[in-house]
Amino acid sequence: MRTIIIGAGEVGHHIAKKLSDEKKDVVLIDKNPAKIRRISEDLDIQALLGSGTSPRMLRQAGIEEAELLCAATDSDEVNLIACLLARSLNRHMVKIARVRNQEYLREKSLFSQDLLGVDLIINTQDMMVKTILSLMEVPGASEVIDFLDGEMKLIGFLITEDSPLAGKRLGGPMIAKENLLVVAIVRGHKILIPSGEDTIEPLDIIYTVVKKNDVNTTLTLLGLPTRPIKNVIIIGAGGTGMAVAKALDNRRLNVRLIDHDGEKCKNAASLLNRVTVIRGDAADRDLLKEENAGDMDLLIAVTGDEESNVLISLLAKELGTKRTITRVSKLSYMHIVSVIGLDTVINPRMSAVRAILQYLRRGKIISVSPLREEQAEAIEAEAMETSDIVNTPLADVKFPPGAILGAIVRDGEIIIPRGDTTVQPHDRLIIFALQNVLDQLERLLTVKLEYF
Amino acid sequence: MNARLIAYMMAVLVFCLGVFMIIPLTAAFYYGDGSAPAFLISMTVTCALGACVFLITRHRQDLYLSHRDGMIIVSLGWLIAGLIATMPYLISGAIPDFTDAYFESMSGFTTTGASILQNIEAMPEGILLWRAQTQWLGGMGIIVLSIAILPFLGIGGMELYKAETPSPVVDKLTPRIAETAKALWKIYIFLTFSLIVLLLIGKMSLYDAVCHAFTTMPTGGFSPKNASVGYYQSAYIDIVILTFMFLAGINFSLHYKLVHGNIKRFFLDPEFRAYLCITVAFIFLVFTDVYVSIYTKITDALRYSSFQVVSIITTTGFVTADFEKWPALSQVILFISMFLGGMAGSTGGGIKIMRIILLAKHSYLEIIRIIHPHATTMVKLGGVPVSQTIMRSIWGFFLLFMGIYILGVIILAALGLDMVTALTAMATCMSNVGPGFGGVGPMDNFASIPVAGKWFLSFSMLLGRLEIYTIIVFLIPAFWRK
Repeated sequence: MRTIIIGAGEVGHHIAKKLSDEKKDVVLIDKNPAKIRRISEDLDIQALLGSGTSPRMLRQAGIEEAELLCAATDSDEVNLIACLLARSLNRHMVKIARVRNQEYLREKSLFSQDLLGVDLIINTQDMMVKTILSLMEVPGASEVIDFLDGEMKLIGFLITEDSPLAGKRLGGPMIAKENLLVVAIVRGHKILIPSGEDTIEPLDIIYTVVKKNDVNTTLTLLGLPTRPIKNVIIIGAGGTGMAVAKALDNRRLNVRLIDHDGEKCKNAASLLNRVTVIRGDAADRDLLKEENAGDMDLLIAVTGDEESNVLISLLAKELGTKRTITRVSKLSYMHIVSVIGLDTVINPRMSAVRAILQYLRRGKIISVSPLREEQAEAIEAEAMETSDIVNTPLADVKFPPGAILGAIVRDGEIIIPRGDTTVQPHDRLIIFALQNVLDQLERLLTVKLEYF
Repeated sequence: MNARLIAYMMAVLVFCLGVFMIIPLTAAFYYGDGSAPAFLISMTVTCALGACVFLITRHRQDLYLSHRDGMIIVSLGWLIAGLIATMPYLISGAIPDFTDAYFESMSGFTTTGASILQNIEAMPEGILLWRAQTQWLGGMGIIVLSIAILPFLGIGGMELYKAETPSPVVDKLTPRIAETAKALWKIYIFLTFSLIVLLLIGKMSLYDAVCHAFTTMPTGGFSPKNASVGYYQSAYIDIVILTFMFLAGINFSLHYKLVHGNIKRFFLDPEFRAYLCITVAFIFLVFTDVYVSIYTKITDALRYSSFQVVSIITTTGFVTADFEKWPALSQVILFISMFLGGMAGSTGGGIKIMRIILLAKHSYLEIIRIIHPHATTMVKLGGVPVSQTIMRSIWGFFLLFMGIYILGVIILAALGLDMVTALTAMATCMSNVGPGFGGVGPMDNFASIPVAGKWFLSFSMLLGRLEIYTIIVFLIPAFWRK
């Protein structure tokens, strides 16, 4: 399958890497010679120097035989024109475009099959707002991924020094008794699929599969407050900050929005009813103190400047804020944020990558979520009758060493798997697997984990 | 340094070379020439060695290949391939001396075609076929072959490909490097096969046809006959081989584009046009020079001059006439042709037409800048600007090439070679041509060169084949620092 990606930014780069790792033919087009040189050294793809809105360039990239176009530049206009050209050059290809301008997004007919025919619109802002809201539902989580329409959650927790789980063995009495199924541990920049012998260490991020109703039990176990979030402070009244503020406006919460730009504050004050808008520099310790940041349940730092976001969150932590959500765009910073003590980080590019990959998976895989720079995937799949996994006790199933079955869902009931559990046909499985065992898993499930 | 992966790659390479010995082994059995035991032993040892190292190193590979690893793999691969190829020569006793055997096998893999054999026709058939086959493998590149075979070499593959491909700019024809390598090898095999068929039509025996096809396509120049292609005295064979030498001197990316129906691109390619023009002009000069003075018939003059010019300019080195007896102008033209080589990305050696064009254009623009001090100039090839980085690397290559050439001539002269022999032996080896003038002329061979000279020339051939940079970095201390 030939894929054409336009834009060698972080989104384009990651999609290219993911697809080329899966042995797909990837052609990438970018205008920046330095980026083209870099990416052709890093990845086994064809990198062409030129404009994604040039029909000649697209033909050279082999658009006639391509099946997928992914327009992921920073410019909405370039992305849309590229899709338009792709539509005229190859009517049947799937088109994915990254669009940010809300005005374009509101014109639904623009993307319809009659006009641009964009199959998937990537709007990172909406995704981030959604992520922030679902994170707020589970206080203390650093990552929440919904499965089965939210009935089942894959939750990542940062283990702090004083966490009751720190230093505990997974097979030990405390964890085993409580049915806490730890499916993965992120330590530094490594992902481990743990066995009973592994120990949880401070600064690990553990991933667990939890039923929606059991979230509070898990939180108690982890020594985290179960009390819902009441006091929120949002830093940055840009697109994301405003969208979050609007979503929270009508809830009975104490929300403050801080921005240093007077115009933005005025605009925010006119659009919001209950949220208190404050004009000032959030990196000013006195201002944060004045606004009682130390007593807040949550601080959301979503300004356009990621370095400021990190520093503001650290400042708030030092003042005593219980949780922070920090927007960081650079993927290379992702490894270090948990080390410096930030519990939750959201990344617009990662969200974009995730959305594209979810869209692209086909077959009996119902949904998929790449985690931690795509080293691992959480997969929701249906158990096939022909698969080796059904009708055999799990203890006898040869599961690849880098994969773990997180949960089984049968007739709306959620089963936490044990050695004597047997998977039955048409069960839904939630599996957590490292990238390098995906092909073995594919064989076990007799499902093609392929992109179409 | 990823020592494990390097060892793994070497193991695969060594094993493959062992497997390839099956072809000369078959010939040795068929002709009963007595070299079969040598091939059996070499094959067993090589395959066993390759398989052992492969089994030790195959587990849990860290597949990351750095720039340096790439260069180490390519250089080491070529040195080891040279060693492996000496085994049949030494064990069969065809070439009893190690220095001679290494010279012969390096001359094979680098597609030079310089030989130390005094009487080629006395050699066993199997040995001569092996000699031809080393050229065939070396022509498209043994590492490019491994890239085509080894599926996992995705990212690192590009490093290796760059280090081995004789071109200042590397064209990735397909999104996947392994596919590019496969595509090139397919074209190469197809052309070789076509040539065998055409030679068979010309009443050449199957054995001779295979040997010649194996050495024409890589622009190698080994022949199983003492008199080279001149042995056949056939205009048809001359024309067929001339055509295929010319084709082998064309960038294989262009062949690929031709296969994919891009005929216009083929003939509009600026480098191809320059290659064609230079070849035609040189043929014309030599033709006017040898017509009447040497050959009285116009067809003979045209036939021998064109064959010799194409043979030297593509760095093949086949001989149909003793060009040492030709007038001075022809000799000078042939000597200069040695440096040119074919197009970038072809199987030819030398400096390559593309570099010559770009250097000429750059020099011209420098003159323009003297006339218009404020001019903004840009070197272009086929309307596409060539980046400063590439220009810098081409100038560097050119200076290194000429510098090493001069140094080499001095070394050879110090070893006691006469001036003409030293000047041409160094050129013919560095450009991977084969015959030179004087003591290493078309009717002579390299047997009389002193031992130190043979080692130095073997090294020069490798320098020339891998285009200097890949090898020269090992001599620089900065490479070895952490």
